[in-house]
Amino acid sequence: MGDSSTSYIHMVQHLIEKCLIFNMTKEECMEALSKHANIKPVITSTVWNELEKENKEFFEAYAQSQSKQDRMSEEETSRMIQKMISDSSSKDPDE
Amino acid sequence: MESFSIISSEEFPDFAEGNLLESIDFDDLFIGIDEGDMLPDLEMDPEILADLPTTRCDVEESINTSVEKTDEDSSQRKEEEEEEDKISGSGSGSSSSKGEEIFSKREEPNAVNKTPSKYAVKGRKSSAAQAKNNNQGKRKTKIEPRNWSLAFTSMDQNMVPGKVKMLRESWKDQDRIKYFNDVLNYVKKVDWTPELHRRFVQAVEQLGVDKAVPSRILELMGIDCLTRHNIASHLQKYRSHRKHLLAREAEAANWTQRRQMYGGAATPAGGGKRDINPWLAPTMGFPPMSPMHHHHFRPLHVWGHPTMDQSLVHLWPKHPAHTTSQPPQPPQSTWGPPPANPSFWHHHHQRVSNGLTPGTPCFPQPIAPTVNNHSSFGSILPVCISTRFRAAPVPGIPPHHHGTGGQSGPHPLIDFHPSKESIDAAIGDVLTKPWLPLPLGLKPPSTDSVLGELQRQGVPKIPPSCA
Repeated sequence: MGDSSTSYIHMVQHLIEKCLIFNMTKEECMEALSKHANIKPVITSTVWNELEKENKEFFEAYAQSQSKQDRMSEEETSRMIQKMISDSSSKDPDE
Repeated sequence: MESFSIISSEEFPDFAEGNLLESIDFDDLFIGIDEGDMLPDLEMDPEILADLPTTRCDVEESINTSVEKTDEDSSQRKEEEEEEDKISGSGSGSSSSKGEEIFSKREEPNAVNKTPSKYAVKGRKSSAAQAKNNNQGKRKTKIEPRNWSLAFTSMDQNMVPGKVKMLRESWKDQDRIKYFNDVLNYVKKVDWTPELHRRFVQAVEQLGVDKAVPSRILELMGIDCLTRHNIASHLQKYRSHRKHLLAREAEAANWTQRRQMYGGAATPAGGGKRDINPWLAPTMGFPPMSPMHHHHFRPLHVWGHPTMDQSLVHLWPKHPAHTTSQPPQPPQSTWGPPPANPSFWHHHHQRVSNGLTPGTPCFPQPIAPTVNNHSSFGSILPVCISTRFRAAPVPGIPPHHHGTGGQSGPHPLIDFHPSKESIDAAIGDVLTKPWLPLPLGLKPPSTDSVLGELQRQGVPKIPPSCA
């Protein structure tokens, strides 16, 4: 009966998607799922790969954004923080 | 009608006219009588009433003669047999809800019960009821002859000519007027015009919705013809209405967020705009889920329900390890959270600011346009995750949170690496609520290919019996 397998795979996919939202890498995902959800890394990895096959564009873009993010994160972060600070301080007089 | 003559011939010469009956609004009169305002035996007759100043607040309606009231009472009773014994002032019977009948609606437990039978009043008309019935003084009263005798029986006990006389003579006009006015005001239904309501809202907001006390509101409003009671019931309605509104707003806002989030999430490669990626599954609705989970789907729950909030709090800190040994069946299928999970979170967040555990992954939401401008996948989402939630700094939230373009004050530092707790919580969430729609809605791989691949790797079956 494939049902439980299907639903299991579905669950793993769901979890992977959550990790994607967290912008995690495949490895991070495998680790997280293994640790928090007791899912064998091999299963995670397999499902991930299959997902990637089915959703090539998405994963390509995802990979891109990941690399971009790694490079820029510090800079972006500090820029963002500064912006926020200036925004909130400029807002303050109004409130 | 023979009974008519009964009335008129004896103690109530003034009531000979049939018209009076129609202008009677009985229930108003005696609504709160037992609340400490022990009125002396009161017989209102037309001449006295004529003296009364007509206040803005719907005086006409509450013309009240105990006689007629009783009669009306009786007529009501005709429709409801069980009322028969309630002649004397018990108002616990519920009137039929005929539009014209005064007693048709009783929203409040009948205070009149405690009133001595002098008024034989039945129930009290709520303002809502009155709104429907509002004939401004002309009301059809169905008086059935057979009930009149009952009415008069009770009345006889209370209304003694002597008393009436006393009333008339010992009171000064002023007092009488004031007294009647009070009674009228007390019991009459308030017509909550927009203006009146506006003042009410003003007063409430001044005091603070939660702290608004009817007596203070009354003071602030400064309108003579309102009683504390009127205000109290209006306040109650107002509060429940607000809750309802807020809940709906929250839900709507959350849906908007979700949509935007999906749009943002689906747009990798740093575009940062909120384009909804075409191949994304439509996530606004409830994307296809495995059939077996359908029955877990609950309709949107009543907002603000206390049990829900509690259960949500209980669930969140829960460590998913407890549940992971099971296959993806929800361990608490009785739990029944609303399927619109993000909105539930959102609701929870808005209502219970202390209910959120750290790192609670309210559904990742784009925080502000500025963030999104930088945006790649990375910049939007991790921000959301580790942000401690405050007054939702998310677009689509009620405007006053919005501030300028979505930033509602200093944000916590953006952390690009999701915290362990958030991951934990997110995962836990998936495990316990498998019916939730997939956050990204990626195209699922075929089961066979996954299984095949797994077998190649040496995993014979899933779910595995041991992790």
